[in-house]
Amino acid sequence: MAIIEASGLTRLFGEVLAVDDLTMSVEPGEVLGFLGPNGAGKTTTIRMLAGIIAPTRGQAIVAGYRTDQDVEKLHEVIGMLTETPGLYDRLSARRNLEYFAGFYAIDDVPGRVEKYLRLMELWDRREDRAGTFSKGMKQRLALARALIHEPKVLFLDEPTSGLDPEAASEVRQLILRLRDEGCTIFLSTHNLSEAEMLCNRIAVIHTRLLALDTAESLRRRFFRRKVMVELQSHDPNVVAVVRKLPFVQTADEQGTRLSVDLIDSEHNRPELVRAIVEAGGKVITVSEEQYTLEQVYLRLMNEEKASDSQAHS
Amino acid sequence: MTVRRIRNILRKEWVLLFTDPNSTVLVVLLPFVVVGQFVLYFWLAFRFGSEGMLGSPVFQTALEKLLQAIPEASALPATEQILVLLLNQFQFILLLIPVMIGIGIAAFSIVDEKLTGSLEALLATPVKTWELLLGKTLAGAIPALLMTWISAGFFLLVINLLGWSDLSRLVLTPGWFLSLFLLAPGVAILSFMLGVIGSSRARDAKDAQTIALVVILPILALIGIQITGIVWFTPLLTLVLGLVILTVDYIALRVAVRLFQRESITIAWR
Repeated sequence: MAIIEASGLTRLFGEVLAVDDLTMSVEPGEVLGFLGPNGAGKTTTIRMLAGIIAPTRGQAIVAGYRTDQDVEKLHEVIGMLTETPGLYDRLSARRNLEYFAGFYAIDDVPGRVEKYLRLMELWDRREDRAGTFSKGMKQRLALARALIHEPKVLFLDEPTSGLDPEAASEVRQLILRLRDEGCTIFLSTHNLSEAEMLCNRIAVIHTRLLALDTAESLRRRFFRRKVMVELQSHDPNVVAVVRKLPFVQTADEQGTRLSVDLIDSEHNRPELVRAIVEAGGKVITVSEEQYTLEQVYLRLMNEEKASDSQAHS
Repeated sequence: MTVRRIRNILRKEWVLLFTDPNSTVLVVLLPFVVVGQFVLYFWLAFRFGSEGMLGSPVFQTALEKLLQAIPEASALPATEQILVLLLNQFQFILLLIPVMIGIGIAAFSIVDEKLTGSLEALLATPVKTWELLLGKTLAGAIPALLMTWISAGFFLLVINLLGWSDLSRLVLTPGWFLSLFLLAPGVAILSFMLGVIGSSRARDAKDAQTIALVVILPILALIGIQITGIVWFTPLLTLVLGLVILTVDYIALRVAVRLFQRESITIAWR
């Protein structure tokens, strides 16, 4: 059973449509990457799923609670990391966590605070004011705050935004660790490689949901898997033989490299290599052309722009 | 759970309050400034203006009311009766202390959380709106009330030092104690509640302070009404007034909860 279930979730701000008819589900223990440009409705979606703002239409159930009705119970079981850490700068790291822990039914608050300060490697700085922390440390402390009640679902809104590469990497490692521990994470990010590294599935939103699948399936959906063959030397005869093969759709030559589009990339690959060798070609490497999630994302956005301009004309 | 959450808010607010030099100075010094200033005014009025005041029909009416309420004062010379009249206003002047502290502190309580981004994280916890608002109100009202009581003690000390110790017994009436222990808590809670309401509705602390300023006007009116002899606040009247203020406190909490729109606060403040 899904732990997050959104059905026709829509939010209007006055006349402006921020999120349109979002229907999706997230399984327990899954890390879902939520991608989209600025103003695409990512934060609004998170706020609706976290019960902070109500949908104009539609509904969502998170961890068994309606986000527009059972808000208090919902808040017992979700954690949220907002875009800005929003810490109390004049309070120590320990006091920041103790304050938030005090709103939940936690029996041993000091013990829990210690556990998460150690997890975030902030235990040695526990009595220092949060205002003296670096951005990365603040983000780790904010993450500890979101986790202090050990929520079933964790909403992370741009957790590495504005961090230097080292701090961003630290936060990513923590997310990986939480993923391994089975925490369900709803991760909104601009960072495509981060999404690919951390997430089981990727949702792309631009007011409405454009795609939701694994990164690999999205690649397959938008790009054919081309086989790259590196030859020792350029041979026009080999290229001609390859082009005549029945399972080859296109074959482009770039110097000693052949880029071949096969009907079935996995099954036709051995036959392709055999045909090249029989034609006298000397194969150095055979690989699959790699498409990045960024290319998939940009293609989705371009398609969305094209459909928008068609709709307007 | 509710008590634990409110205690949690109190602890955090007090750490923030007393690690902010501006707020600490306001809470600690303002009461002494108010007491010092008004005692100086009373001394000046008594020293240089009592003859003139005695000739004024307004003050004659007020003196009549004073003598009805505190007959022992009739044994005093007329100029000292004027001084007793002035000193008896202090039970209401003391109420300005929690109001002024409230305007200075409560006005920032929600605005600051909006600006630093901590409010959204707070609103994602199971804390109820009324728990949050009451916690923030009490966090300011309790120190303000303590300072009001300390100021009352300081006032008594100063008038003794000025040689008016024999007049103290005419000031320490049942009305004075009702004012300290019923009106002052009610006013402290009300001013902080209004400050918090202002803070949750305003776009910045200045707006919030303007909203909270409203509570000063009725207190000034109380002083004006009594010193001009329109009404003398007997213990019974003070008791009724105190109960009215406590009722208004409860209504203000209900209103504050209704006005505290989590959604619009989250959306409007980025």
